[in-house]
Amino acid sequence: MVDMARVWPILCQFGIGGLLCIVGVWAGLSSGYLDMNLKDDRRLIAVIVGGFVGLLVLSCAFTFWLPFVGGGDAS
Amino acid sequence: MIGTPLDLIVMIAYFVLVVGFGVYFGKYSSTTKDFYFGGQRFAWWVIAFSATATTVGSYSFVKYSAAGYNYGLSSTQSYLNDWFWVPILLLIWLPIIYFQRIQSVPEYFERRFSKTTRLVATVIILIYLVGYVGINLLTLGQALHTMLGWSVFAGASLACVAVTFYVFAGGQTSVIMTDLVQGITLLIVGVGIFLAGVAHFGGFVDWWALMPESHRYIFSEFNKPDKFSFIGVYGQDGLANTGAFVLMNQGIIMRFLALRSVKDARKMSICWILVLAPLAAITVSGGGWIAKALVENGEMETTANDAFIHAAHFLCSPGIFGFVLAALMAALMSTADTLINASSAVFVNDVYRPYVRKEAHDTHYLKVARISSLSVAAIGLMLVPLFDGETVYQAHAKFTAAITPPIVVAILLGILWKRFNTPAALAAMVGGGALVFLSTFSPFDDIFLKPLAFGMGEGSYKFIRAVFGLLVSGGLGIVVALATRPQPLESIAGLITGTQLQAMEFFKGGPLNRREGEVVYVPVQTDTSLSGDETVLVSTAHMKTLAADVGDLLYVCDRRWWFGGLRSFHTKAMEGGPGETLRLSPEAMDRGHFQDGDVVYMEKQF
Repeated sequence: MVDMARVWPILCQFGIGGLLCIVGVWAGLSSGYLDMNLKDDRRLIAVIVGGFVGLLVLSCAFTFWLPFVGGGDAS
Repeated sequence: MIGTPLDLIVMIAYFVLVVGFGVYFGKYSSTTKDFYFGGQRFAWWVIAFSATATTVGSYSFVKYSAAGYNYGLSSTQSYLNDWFWVPILLLIWLPIIYFQRIQSVPEYFERRFSKTTRLVATVIILIYLVGYVGINLLTLGQALHTMLGWSVFAGASLACVAVTFYVFAGGQTSVIMTDLVQGITLLIVGVGIFLAGVAHFGGFVDWWALMPESHRYIFSEFNKPDKFSFIGVYGQDGLANTGAFVLMNQGIIMRFLALRSVKDARKMSICWILVLAPLAAITVSGGGWIAKALVENGEMETTANDAFIHAAHFLCSPGIFGFVLAALMAALMSTADTLINASSAVFVNDVYRPYVRKEAHDTHYLKVARISSLSVAAIGLMLVPLFDGETVYQAHAKFTAAITPPIVVAILLGILWKRFNTPAALAAMVGGGALVFLSTFSPFDDIFLKPLAFGMGEGSYKFIRAVFGLLVSGGLGIVVALATRPQPLESIAGLITGTQLQAMEFFKGGPLNRREGEVVYVPVQTDTSLSGDETVLVSTAHMKTLAADVGDLLYVCDRRWWFGGLRSFHTKAMEGGPGETLRLSPEAMDRGHFQDGDVVYMEKQF
């Protein structure tokens, strides 16, 4: 049984966080400030997405897996 | 007194070293641009480390170690929010302030809205900053009282004199260079204590096994406990405080403006938030986690508030513990110096220049900048006895809680929504701020905050107040904006998203060249036939490699990376025909701190 009190924080953090990221990237692209023809700008988008996914994986690991490794009680 | 005389010697030696280091770099500050923005020449890694030191505040070790002791890994949840604000920072806010040459948050308010809005923002931000200088000095004094037994005021005075000494001498350049050292010290000591603790238990697996299961989650439960629920901490830290940190923290904004380019701001943000901030989270929380495991193992007794210092004392031998005390001092000093410099910048830029003396030579403003740094430090010191009593301290905390969400909302809507105008900004800041302030008193706290508390009790109100502030300020601002006439678009060009390229053109003073070029390494040579601070002649071949046209912005820097940009300057490309050297005027050689034959690297910005 998934404990929703542990799931809501991830949904909230990455849901609202995702919206903030989308607003920023949309603003960069729609203004022309981010130019997808430039290597640096493409790299920046990749890093933003990579950072987001990395934090999501870290959060999930420390919520659904690692708390129960090494003698913790599964709930 | 904690520790041995050897620890005291180590701590005092560190103290003297940092002050001397800061004073030494005073020679790089000869203009107000140097004093407040370090000449806009620093490399990303210097600013990343220095910003880390600044953000690890005077209270961080106590606060986060206590949270780590009480709640485990979730003490770091405040550090996981920053990344989500990075796109807004790097792609909207930073291009606007950097390319529009905006020097302070209140200045943005005048350019985007009106003079009245700037005045309101100036008053609010100055009270906030100077109050924080006082609180930091109080914390410094309290730390020295605990460590050495001195009176709080004597400790605060000594620390204030030391910090002000190097801020006065070198402004932002000294602040950045000392904070670089302090950031490295902090991280080494904090992460070192955590790793020493883990090694003490026999490795990560054994340490992890000693942590109670409730301490192993990265987030608290959604709505409990009242005083550390996820939603409360997220509302306060993830939204209001991180938003404030990115958008309205004058000290951090000045640090970004000290970077040599917006491109470096990207590298700096990535290094800072994805690498150094997690290390900083371990640095400030690790003592609490280790203390908890030591207590669970029956090896130590402590309270949450003393968790860091007791764990460090348990693990460190005499002399080494002195470095721990030095790291605590580093956290304290690196925040105080930034606040003093930032307060002085707001005073000179938003009070002195517009209201006292509009047109004066830069040397005059530099003198005022130095005097105002002294004055801010003196006022902060005078606040120490007042803050030592709970009433004034609480009043400042209530004031900060009241003003942070409204200003974040005003800036965010200001950069995102062209319809957001002066009446809307004033409504958000003044109306929203007043309602949040009202919510700090009974019975308004129940009326305003209970519906947003997700079933939590009064213990959650302190956190939920930030959510209320964002909602009420945003609501007021949006309603007023829709009910009033928008500002003409041409008056906000370069100040709102969608117009970042116009801001870049304003910065350059001409059309942009975004063709990708390569970096050029070239020896410099003085050309006495040239004159002017930024006059250089670039050979035709190098212009081609750089993909530069005449008039493009160039950055010229000593190739030795460890100078971190100290020996560098910005210039405009001028074609000098054939040749293998970069020819500089004598003034440009001085500006870049170069000597004939030094090899520099040169890159085109746009």
